[in-house]
Amino acid sequence: MTEAVFRETTAEPRTQAVPLSHLSLELGHLYMEDFEAGPQRLREHFAQVRPWAEAARAAAAAARPGGRRPRISTCFLIDDYFTRFSSPAELVPLLLAEADRAGLTIDYLARESGCAVTGKVPLAQAVAGRIVESPPPGSYGNRPPAAQTGWLANGERSPVARAPQAMKTAAAWQPPKETAARRHSVFLDVELWSDDPDGHRTFSCPFLAAVWQLARLGLLRNEGEPVFVPQPHTASGFPEDWDELPALVRLNPRADPFAAYRTCSVMPNRFLPVEHAVRVILDQTEVDRGALRQVAERSAREDMTVPDSVADRISYVFYAGP
Amino acid sequence: MGDSGPGESAPRAVLACGEVRTCLLPTRQALDIRAAAQFLGLRADERVLLSERPNLYARSPDILTGVDCPLPTANGARVRAVGTVAARAALTEGRVLQTSAHFRLPADGPDQRQPWGHYLVRPGVVEPLGKLSHETVAQGVLGGGRHGELDVGLIADALLTRLLRHPLLDQRPPLRSRPTRLRWVALPAGPYDGPSIERFTLAEDELRTVRLRVPEGTPSAEIAGFCDDLALHDWLLTTVVRVLDGLTLGSQEPPARGRAGAVQDRPAVVRVVRPAVDHLLHLWMPRARVVKDLAPLWEVLEERPGFTRQWQALVQRIRDQLTLHAIGSLYREVELTP
Repeated sequence: MTEAVFRETTAEPRTQAVPLSHLSLELGHLYMEDFEAGPQRLREHFAQVRPWAEAARAAAAAARPGGRRPRISTCFLIDDYFTRFSSPAELVPLLLAEADRAGLTIDYLARESGCAVTGKVPLAQAVAGRIVESPPPGSYGNRPPAAQTGWLANGERSPVARAPQAMKTAAAWQPPKETAARRHSVFLDVELWSDDPDGHRTFSCPFLAAVWQLARLGLLRNEGEPVFVPQPHTASGFPEDWDELPALVRLNPRADPFAAYRTCSVMPNRFLPVEHAVRVILDQTEVDRGALRQVAERSAREDMTVPDSVADRISYVFYAGP
Repeated sequence: MGDSGPGESAPRAVLACGEVRTCLLPTRQALDIRAAAQFLGLRADERVLLSERPNLYARSPDILTGVDCPLPTANGARVRAVGTVAARAALTEGRVLQTSAHFRLPADGPDQRQPWGHYLVRPGVVEPLGKLSHETVAQGVLGGGRHGELDVGLIADALLTRLLRHPLLDQRPPLRSRPTRLRWVALPAGPYDGPSIERFTLAEDELRTVRLRVPEGTPSAEIAGFCDDLALHDWLLTTVVRVLDGLTLGSQEPPARGRAGAVQDRPAVVRVVRPAVDHLLHLWMPRARVVKDLAPLWEVLEERPGFTRQWQALVQRIRDQLTLHAIGSLYREVELTP
């Protein structure tokens, strides 16, 4: 193909690439209740995580052809979105000390509110605009049936039961139906956000967790530019206010890249319903095509198999625990 | 018809289909390029593509619609297919709005529906469950499917309806016009053949159908780009022909009844023709954004029916009318002056 003589950069799509590891290993989520339970809770958590984290590393190494060292980065997410508690200055050193005690290194630290808005980019809102609902059989291009704003299901909802008119019997209840059901349905309807009377929108925990997974998979862009880019940690300590901490901090200067072909998250099994919801969301989110192509090309060059479907790139270890 | 999903696993496409809606943007003033970018910003995190050469042109990001339904077939065979239809909107010179929906079909697909994520990483691909007779489907699509069969026109319509409600539009179009629909299919050309138009039909109800052959591996977005360009110029011809239709010539020119009366009645020609001059005549620019490989398709259309030939004749007629009108008013001025 001959190179075009005339080009207009605004007329061409462009997507910047991000560096990629083989595996992004999440060592935990921290919510206020965990913090309130005291440092003992963190200590138990990391002790539980340790063997599974090692197993995840071993599995990633086994998947690497020729026995070469896989690039693996670890991360940890702190909730500062739903509740604000403590301060980075107080919490982060404690967190790092407990991880260290268990023999774990946290490479990257993220704030959950960064999954909602990073800098000036309304990340969660943009991802919401990328939801393409899975069509139930019979969808021929007509409007999707009864899309519930702010909710996303893995199938068709039960028809709304109307109040029976006098002398008429009520319509029989119809079950909801999971589109990908194998004989029987496991129907899930996920609340993505809620709006308060002032119009202020709060995104749900599963929705932000889906954004978090997309960030870790290197699939988020804003007008072609990477978002959720790790900032180096240069200061000696940590700030007093969460807002002063970047959304994503690289704590380990020698860490492998934050984003990766696949993710693995080790967490207590109370997160199971949330993470089921995350899969339902990811399965119906169309990610940036340029980013998707870059991942496909890079992994092919490295002889790494990356599943086509984005939801299949994430994995979990749920341990028994609070 | 290549450029399928991220994996190598996606089979090559044997058929691409689409439908384009073309209409005048219902605003008094054409949108400038910044307003166009705002108007077409269908996604918060994706840029609107903007181009200023050789004319002003803006295109929205693609948005997807999921489908799971039978494909239209000429022989009534039922082929269920699942996937996504890509739709986008484009604005030319801030004046003509087009929405275009398209998809491509591989020759065969998995035997049963896959998890939805499988389809989302193959944007604009609709996979049949089982095997597909692409000729039957091509005929079925062009003929218009039955209710419940895949209807890309509905998807183009839905996007158009959504955009026409945009607050940037004052709903005061400068002239009367009707939207047109262009439905197209593209089948693979022979191994050494270039692209060709097998049939271009003007049907009733402002519907046009086009049947193309394109070299294998031509991305369906590029085919859609050619069809958008064809639809735009066909709409321009249709609209200007209709403008001139509204003009009864010669005798209707009111007799001069003094200066004030003349000013009121005289502008019949000008009133009818002027909006076309102001808003349409500069839009003619075939092939402005058609990829090089598909540009030869225009040559066929120039040969027969002769798009540009007809356009030039229309433009000449408009100019003649305006000239005659100018001479006429001069003549009356002379008459009225004692």
